[in-house]
Amino acid sequence: MKRKIIDTIIEKIIFFCGILAIVFVTLIFGFLLKEGFAFFKEYGVISFIAGKLWYPTSDPAQFGILSMIVGSLLVTAGACVIAVPIGIMAALYISEIAPKGVRDVLKSFIELMAAVPSVVIGFVGMVTLVPLVRTIFDLPTGLTAFSGSIMLAFMAMPTIVTISEDAIRSVPWSYKEGALALGATKWQTIRRIVLKAAMPGIIAAVMLGIGRVVGETMAVMMITGNAAHIPSSIFEPVRTMTATIAAEMGETVRGGMHYRALFAIGLVLFIITFIVNFIADLFLGKSKK
Amino acid sequence: MDKIKVENLSCFYGGQCVLESLDINVVKNEILTIIGPANSGKTTFLRTLNRMSDLNTSYSRKGTVYLDDENIFNMNMEKLRKRVGMLFAMPIPLPMTIYENIVYAPKRLGLVSKKNEMDAVVEQALKDASLWDEVKDRLNSSGMKLSGGQQQRLCIARILAINPEVILFDEPCSGLDPISTAKVEESMIELKEKYTIVLVTNNVKQASRVGDRTAFFLMGKLVEIDKTGTMFVSPKQKQTEDYITGRFG
Repeated sequence: MKRKIIDTIIEKIIFFCGILAIVFVTLIFGFLLKEGFAFFKEYGVISFIAGKLWYPTSDPAQFGILSMIVGSLLVTAGACVIAVPIGIMAALYISEIAPKGVRDVLKSFIELMAAVPSVVIGFVGMVTLVPLVRTIFDLPTGLTAFSGSIMLAFMAMPTIVTISEDAIRSVPWSYKEGALALGATKWQTIRRIVLKAAMPGIIAAVMLGIGRVVGETMAVMMITGNAAHIPSSIFEPVRTMTATIAAEMGETVRGGMHYRALFAIGLVLFIITFIVNFIADLFLGKSKK
Repeated sequence: MDKIKVENLSCFYGGQCVLESLDINVVKNEILTIIGPANSGKTTFLRTLNRMSDLNTSYSRKGTVYLDDENIFNMNMEKLRKRVGMLFAMPIPLPMTIYENIVYAPKRLGLVSKKNEMDAVVEQALKDASLWDEVKDRLNSSGMKLSGGQQQRLCIARILAINPEVILFDEPCSGLDPISTAKVEESMIELKEKYTIVLVTNNVKQASRVGDRTAFFLMGKLVEIDKTGTMFVSPKQKQTEDYITGRFG
């Protein structure tokens, strides 16, 4: 009897812990929706998303976030262009080519890279990369979308490398053997068989990397220059959605229009990362089959 | 005429000898079957013939193997594997369609390029592997969706498509039911018209059914090699007799 009660209690505790994550996400989403919708009702969704001007404190205030959406997308796209090819090739090197000693060292360093706080990456980028970009490209300022993309690529790389590496390593040895026995070279085997079989996992890795980049705040705030205008090239300062929320939340009046506008930005971000993660999950599920 | 000639071959895994000073030959257009209990070195021998063993870093070897008087250890590995195809115990279709599975290797090796050439190669290979009638209407479905026996014959077709000289079979029927086994054996016997075949098998009866000659390996050594008919009727060695009559192994 007593054992049965203990069993039931433990079961309930475990269930509670399991359900907690869902509760938290739902609460956060609900809160974002509540504040966001209150804002949309007053200002309108179209003029919010497609509006080019962001003057939250002038009168009448302007809350157009198009420049920030463009800024976020530009920095993210730039980071992907850098991080995806390097990340996948690094994963291939680690799982297929590197001798065992090199592989272990590389793996632990890449995992260590994931542990560097983003503010440190931002700081290092600000004092080293930003002046370098300015002198090399002869720009008025080195605080550009380009600099932000480079630093964010550093942050996406560990995710992309570790998850792709798992996917590549789980390609059965027999596939490679089958291809090699048919006279394929090592490179042909990697390109046509290994990459193909690991592709769903690699796409998931890229998506998770993108998710990390889109949501990143501290490093981009320190490096991208935070100018709320639509950039005409990657060598201009941009402002991302995340940086806007972080920079302005302290200056708002609780419950005011500006305050709610920031929540509405949060809602847009949430939807973007949700979609990215959803796609990643889709592919991860596929690679397990 | 000898297709393959092995002289004083010894193989090691991590310094431990698994195959000891082996001298053996494979005659052109014969089926040489190799029997023996586990750890007798038969699979190591087979995987040395197309240098698949070289992929294992703890593997090393001494001695020479000649393919048509050419030392295979001096040959380009990819070229060797084009001439010496291999079929594994587990059928492993590559993760693509039936059609692509077969044209994969010929395309890589530059043997075919035009669509009609590829169609011809696929049809011929599947016919030679006696699989054509079963799959001709679904060449574009995945190779993984076939049954085990069909997958194994697809793998045979895949090897035939690169037109090798020698085919190595590594226990090709160990995962198959008796009917599929009979079909694979049937195609092996047809194949020896054109190819030279080395078959490693754990199934002594299979060796007696398809082998022209049979070699018995034990503990890394060749105990006896003879015409299959002779060996199964009157083996010279006591150990051979014990093994084929099922007294051990």
